[in-house]
Amino acid sequence: MPEKREYKYIGKSYPRLDADEKLTGQARYVADIVLPGMLYAKMLTSPYAHAKIKSIDVEKAKSLEGVVAVLTGEDLDYNVGLYLVDKRILARGKVRYQGEPVAAVAAETLEIAEKAVRLIEVEYEPLKPLLDVEEAFNERENLVHPDLGSYSYLKAAFYPQPGTNICHVTKIRKGDIEKGFSEADIIVEREYNNPSVQHVPMETHGAIVQWGIGDKVLIYTSAQSPFTVRNLFCHTFKLPHQNVRVIVPYVGGGFGGKAGIHLEPLVACLSHAAGGRPVKLIATREEEFNTLPCRCGLKFKIKTGLKKDGKITAQKLILLWSAGAYADYAVNVTRASGYSAGGPYFYENLYIDSFAVYTNQVFGTAYRGFGHVELFWGLERHMDFCAKNLNMDPYEFRKINLIKPGDTTATQEPVVDSTGSVRKCLDAVVKAIEWRGNKTDSEREKEIKSKKVRGKGFAVLHKAPAMPTNTSSSCVIKMNENGSIILNISSTDYGNGTYTPMAQVVAEELDIPLSKIHVAFETDTDRDPYDWQTVASRFTPMGGRAVVNACNNLKNKMAAVAAQVFNCSPDDFIFQDEKVIYKNDLTKFIPYSQLATGYVFPNGNAIGGPLIGVGVYIAEGLTHLDKETGKGLPAFNWTFGAHAVEVEVDTETGEYQVLKIASAFDVGKVMNYASLKGQVIGGVVQGLGTAMCERYVYDSQGRLINKTFTDNKIPTAKDIPNEFIPIFIETAHDKGAYGARGAAEHPMISVAPAIGNALRDALDIELTSMPIRAEDVWLALNNKKVLVDSK
Amino acid sequence: MINNFLYFRPESEDEVIERLKQYAAESKILAGGTDLLIYMKQYSLLPSVLIDIKGIKDLSKIDLDSDGNLIINAAVTCNDLIENNYIRKHYPVLAEAAHTIGSYQIRNRATIVGNICNASPAADMAGPLLVLDAAVVIHNGESIYEVPIKNFFTGVKKTVLKPTEYVKAIKVPGKYKDKESGYLKASRIKGHDLGICNVAVSKNNGTVKVAIGSCNITPVLLPDFESKQLDVKEVIDVAMKNINPIDDVRGSKEYRRHLVKVFIQRLLTKEEISH
Repeated sequence: MPEKREYKYIGKSYPRLDADEKLTGQARYVADIVLPGMLYAKMLTSPYAHAKIKSIDVEKAKSLEGVVAVLTGEDLDYNVGLYLVDKRILARGKVRYQGEPVAAVAAETLEIAEKAVRLIEVEYEPLKPLLDVEEAFNERENLVHPDLGSYSYLKAAFYPQPGTNICHVTKIRKGDIEKGFSEADIIVEREYNNPSVQHVPMETHGAIVQWGIGDKVLIYTSAQSPFTVRNLFCHTFKLPHQNVRVIVPYVGGGFGGKAGIHLEPLVACLSHAAGGRPVKLIATREEEFNTLPCRCGLKFKIKTGLKKDGKITAQKLILLWSAGAYADYAVNVTRASGYSAGGPYFYENLYIDSFAVYTNQVFGTAYRGFGHVELFWGLERHMDFCAKNLNMDPYEFRKINLIKPGDTTATQEPVVDSTGSVRKCLDAVVKAIEWRGNKTDSEREKEIKSKKVRGKGFAVLHKAPAMPTNTSSSCVIKMNENGSIILNISSTDYGNGTYTPMAQVVAEELDIPLSKIHVAFETDTDRDPYDWQTVASRFTPMGGRAVVNACNNLKNKMAAVAAQVFNCSPDDFIFQDEKVIYKNDLTKFIPYSQLATGYVFPNGNAIGGPLIGVGVYIAEGLTHLDKETGKGLPAFNWTFGAHAVEVEVDTETGEYQVLKIASAFDVGKVMNYASLKGQVIGGVVQGLGTAMCERYVYDSQGRLINKTFTDNKIPTAKDIPNEFIPIFIETAHDKGAYGARGAAEHPMISVAPAIGNALRDALDIELTSMPIRAEDVWLALNNKKVLVDSK
Repeated sequence: MINNFLYFRPESEDEVIERLKQYAAESKILAGGTDLLIYMKQYSLLPSVLIDIKGIKDLSKIDLDSDGNLIINAAVTCNDLIENNYIRKHYPVLAEAAHTIGSYQIRNRATIVGNICNASPAADMAGPLLVLDAAVVIHNGESIYEVPIKNFFTGVKKTVLKPTEYVKAIKVPGKYKDKESGYLKASRIKGHDLGICNVAVSKNNGTVKVAIGSCNITPVLLPDFESKQLDVKEVIDVAMKNINPIDDVRGSKEYRRHLVKVFIQRLLTKEEISH
């Protein structure tokens, strides 16, 4: 357990370190960078969702003046993939989704590149596209990847099934599911659906790559994780790691869409083909929607056995994830959501099958929540439905079944006090919206007459980081001549705000004013220390430990020098007020600045040398999950939470407004209150977008209909709730820095089911598919014939 | 943008006429560009000449003619209109509808005349201008003539305008000054969005006008109703006979029909139609 102490910097609110640069436009993004001799790239994408490529004629494009390189899939014999290596840099032989790149051009100007791609002639032979996840799941003839059996993949965690469209399955088997159902008084069964959606970061994907002399490659990219880009890049091209340098400047949001590797290999190949000239490719918004990956769709089937008193006796969950054309992160979303799909409830008997299924649609990747936004829509709507079937208050029903210390999770991990408390989160939000039990039918009828009806609803959530068992972080802190600090970490602050609390950690540990701590913003794999990835809400608790360790390392080095100066033990120092102070005689001290580059005695002798602190942290004790039962310890920590909302519905149009949303998370320790509050508001609004309007719409041929902002809508300032109530519970975690847990993704999870449940409370309608458009509310009401339509 | 084009920025309307005569169908008038430049980026329109009318000072004016009619010239932007006190006071429905177009930044560029010339079935300015009985003032190179706006639209993105003509202004009759009017629009989000459908109404000297957007190939003006024996049910019946909405990504035809009913009901049963 972390020590209990009073903090000077931790837990307070400080403005973001990058606020001024971002607000004034000085922050440098990939799109801003121009290198000498740089070329511009453009992709040609497939108009078909599934087709054989019969021929590609690039001659006209090549002969256009200003064109330097033209590439097609036939030119590139490389395979890419995160966990399952199933992708070509450019489609080869066949295309698997409409929008997939089939050729690319590098030219002197972007206009020439655009003209050139339009001169490339591709002959396709259309194949039947697989557009329904269930159909693709059952299909054995029409395969998106007939060669699935020959692909290499990460065998410790993934189980592709050759001869099918199933690229992974995660199984959980706990207790005896049949026994559980036989003990039930009633069984409640329903299906829930989520469409694919986009992350919509302000900055689209972009990369500049120069394939230099001696196969030394320089990459500027808008990526979340520079070291993962380097690692995957080296695997694809069989290059040694020391040859590849990845620089990540400021990044304008990613939300998971910029994890892994995306445009970098293609741009590298274009640079290589252009004789080593640097090449720049910035995705258009249409490409961001249609060519770069999205969030997977989910079909979620839930069957629950219940006792009349509200106790769950058995829970069977089947998740069909629509991975789209390539496995990318979808297989890991499938894995993480597989072991999390039961939510923060205790089950004696639990059965989960989570499948990733290839279809001929835009492929899915990580997106804030990593499957949990989608699965909690179904799960928490279902829990509400169970309570309704039992004629119980949904709050009382949840209280009976929520997980608590002494229980075990789906993977049979013991829950202890320091795991955190979902109950405290639920209690807090239910109180905040003044929940007084379900609305009665007569109350509802009365309100419906006024055409404005209010309803209240809530939903719980949990999420653990989806991470390899050896996830690690490192940190270097360097003291400057004036006793100030440069902090180097490679966890990109791409909008998530992690750098400010990390500066607070250094200020706290070394007792240096925050203004004297500089966190280096551009990350460079040649100069900065290793970090796995900037994903999974894990940096503050885990990376924070590396930063604390770096501070301790620096303190030890300062103490070693001071011990020589004062002829005492290095254990006898305290570090306060930018000074190393001899604790047995407080008049003996040395300011940090006198140690920064080495201590000089009055006679000129010098000792010590430049002060550099190094800290690392690696997750310990995690295990792979058993293939058949899922048993194991998958992640560093669980963060619990809950949302409760009050909505007002216009019963004539179906339009609704969230009047109030209370959101509680057991974060262990608040590091920076303002920053965390910002995460909550941002996450809630993103969750609201997913709840009310966001979706990919395909036509019958698998073409994305809404690939621009005209018809792919996200919420605006006019759409946000009237009131946000963030609540933080602090049950200290036993390993996280200062007891903290991650909370970056969590605010987005379970917003949609809380709204769905509030609409149920308001109107007694049962919505099971996201998003909940005004039209869907109207349709549901109409089908109930409750609508009071005076016409 | 891949195509090369000649760009002219005339300082007088005479020069506009001259360029139009010279280039006719090859050319496009550029006002706000918030529709045109998108089409050019998407390769759906590739004009070889652009005639930018923003350099003509008179075309940025909101005027009254000698008969007291309101003149909205061709380069008047949505925000010019919204921020104009005379319009806010006497023709509030125009400001209200303009305010639902795009975002603030778009409204800084997008023009009222451009919204009409783009001729989208969802055009936010169409309904209010239809119920205010506006006229489209067209210069054909030789003379200026007027077309009632109800005759201006001929199809999706199609109007009566010929390649050598340009819209000089929109004229709103002074007799609609201070008359009751209203506009309601349904959209997927409350921020910038194209309408699922919209309805505009006005009442003037015993006549009620109702216009409906996004429910046909053009915005639709219903036949006039008498306000004395106004039967809202009858208005809705006529509306239902005059619209033919489709199912699309923004909404189903059933939902559109339903919303039109609700909006007509709301607009015609309010005590003060417009605020």
